[in-house]
Amino acid sequence: MNWLQIFVTVVTLGSIFGVVTLSLNLQYARGGMINFGIVAYFAVGAYAYAIFTQPAPQGLDQYKFGFGWPWPVALVAAATAALLFAAITGWPTLRLRGEYLALTTFAFAEVFHSFLLNERRIGNGTVGLANVKRPISDWGPIEEKYVFAGAAALLMIATLLVFRRLLRSPYGRALDAIRDDEVAALAAGKSVQRMRRQVFLISAIPIGAAGGLYAMFTTLAQPSLFTAEVTFIIWIALVLGGERSVYGAVAGTFGLIFFEEVVRTWPFETVRSAQIAASVEHIVTGLLFIAVLRYQPFDRIAERMKATR
Amino acid sequence: MNNTASTPTAEPPLLEASAISKRFAGLRAVGGEDGLSFAVSRGSFVGLIGPNGAGKSTTFNLISGVLASDSGAVTFDGHDITNAASDTIAELGIGRTFQTPRAFESLSVLDNVVSGATSPGERLRAAFGRAWRTHESVTVDAAKRTLDRVGLTGRADDLVSDLSGGELRMLEVARQLVRNPVMLLLDEPTSGVDPVLQKRLAALLAELHREGMTLVVVEHNLHFLLALAEHILVLTHGELLTEGPPTEIRTDAAVISAYLGDDYAA
Ligand SMILES: Nc1ncnc2c1ncn2[C@@H]1O[C@H](COP(=O)(O)OP(=O)(O)OP(=O)(O)O)[C@@H](O)[C@H]1O
Ligand SMILES: [Mg+2]
Repeated sequence: MNWLQIFVTVVTLGSIFGVVTLSLNLQYARGGMINFGIVAYFAVGAYAYAIFTQPAPQGLDQYKFGFGWPWPVALVAAATAALLFAAITGWPTLRLRGEYLALTTFAFAEVFHSFLLNERRIGNGTVGLANVKRPISDWGPIEEKYVFAGAAALLMIATLLVFRRLLRSPYGRALDAIRDDEVAALAAGKSVQRMRRQVFLISAIPIGAAGGLYAMFTTLAQPSLFTAEVTFIIWIALVLGGERSVYGAVAGTFGLIFFEEVVRTWPFETVRSAQIAASVEHIVTGLLFIAVLRYQPFDRIAERMKATR
Repeated sequence: MNNTASTPTAEPPLLEASAISKRFAGLRAVGGEDGLSFAVSRGSFVGLIGPNGAGKSTTFNLISGVLASDSGAVTFDGHDITNAASDTIAELGIGRTFQTPRAFESLSVLDNVVSGATSPGERLRAAFGRAWRTHESVTVDAAKRTLDRVGLTGRADDLVSDLSGGELRMLEVARQLVRNPVMLLLDEPTSGVDPVLQKRLAALLAELHREGMTLVVVEHNLHFLLALAEHILVLTHGELLTEGPPTEIRTDAAVISAYLGDDYAA
């Protein structure tokens, strides 16, 4: 077992997905919106990054768009693309309540996924875009994987700080009021619809940037990377970490990714035992999930911290 | 339409409901054949009474935009607020409480009241600046004074779940008062409230009335209401049975048979 390698991977992927969990935390725990299609906003970021950085199509390439932009511009474009996608998908859905919103966002993500599978000109169909360039090939004495881990961690910390600031302001309190009792919040003059839309749009921005980083890291934007499973993993991470604090969202994601990485890289003697471990991983994740739901340890910690503040 | 409440001047009423109606599953809750019409003049203290299911709470819901009316129009302070959004109506100056008290469970008692105010510090842009701290201290001071006014002094830091039913009701009144509404609609404010707190509430309402706030109060506690209100609207089956000053309503034969019961006249 190469623990350093595991550590680097967990920091990188944990931070990238941590950004998504943080955004989901803002949408759900504070904004009261159930988004079961969160993977789509992540995918939009990844594809946007790939499209804007890849070279123009030539020869046998099936895709029609490639702009060869520098990576910082493409990262901004990825965030913007996710924001636009949120504006388009949020407009018809955000008036819906609870489970209806969950169903529509899920449906949106599925439609988007099948669009990616079938549309060759934009995303190159099932094959995806494999031409994603990593920014610079020579980082001098620092190995590239550390640069990635650092970049992902920076994005995650920036997202966390911005969200924490937002949620600790009176704006965050108004969000809590809306989530607690929409009718009473309206009677107190809160613009429920406007604030919901704002939260939905704001939270899409870091998701898009994280999608861009993910494409950069994997050098790939492919439909199989953006299935509903990603949405569920993010939800599990959120529930594991507890909804009450931004730190919980990050801790839950890191814990889950760490667990998966350990199982993935464990030096099993036989193929058979690796297969068993892979299925046990799912069972253990499920059991953990149930235990956390039942005992809500993180919520209790957050509650205690709040009480002693 | 023909109501002049307490002011005989030509000033148009503050609130005017014209032929509003609401049906639930085909059954009429508010408004008979021609809908429900009434007016409330500025600065008046109006009582809205009637038997259970008469449509009092529904009328409040139609005025405050919680429910959309099937027909008719509502104007308030020169604005057409027919079927306007609840938050818009609140911002125009109509405050209301609910028959079943509502509260923001995850917020402290003080924060519940602070949340009632619409502060510029609540805007998205303000969150990333420093200015909200100034707005915040003004709002918090106002909220604390309002808590004192409704008798919840010393409960500021408690959780909402620690409050009793009657205290919860007072908290909701405070949350609306901190908004400084032009007109306040109270749905059964004394229900579940002990006699001491009721007395305090009566004093508070009288004071608000003196300060010029327009009040519309739904109550089954008539000893409380008839001593305070200047004008009473009596609702039965969603229709206006009669209206007038408390002294007339007390002795009105139709009101006695529809709502008060024979014992009350004694
Ligand atoms: N949301 C609703 N859905 C269906 N029916 C409703 C709804 N709200 C009220 N009603 C019905 O409308 C009628 C009027 O109800 P409303 O609550 O306005 O009466 P009320 O005068 O406030 O009575 P109470 O004194 O018992 O509070 C009742 O028959 C009630 O069952
Ligand atoms: Mg009622």
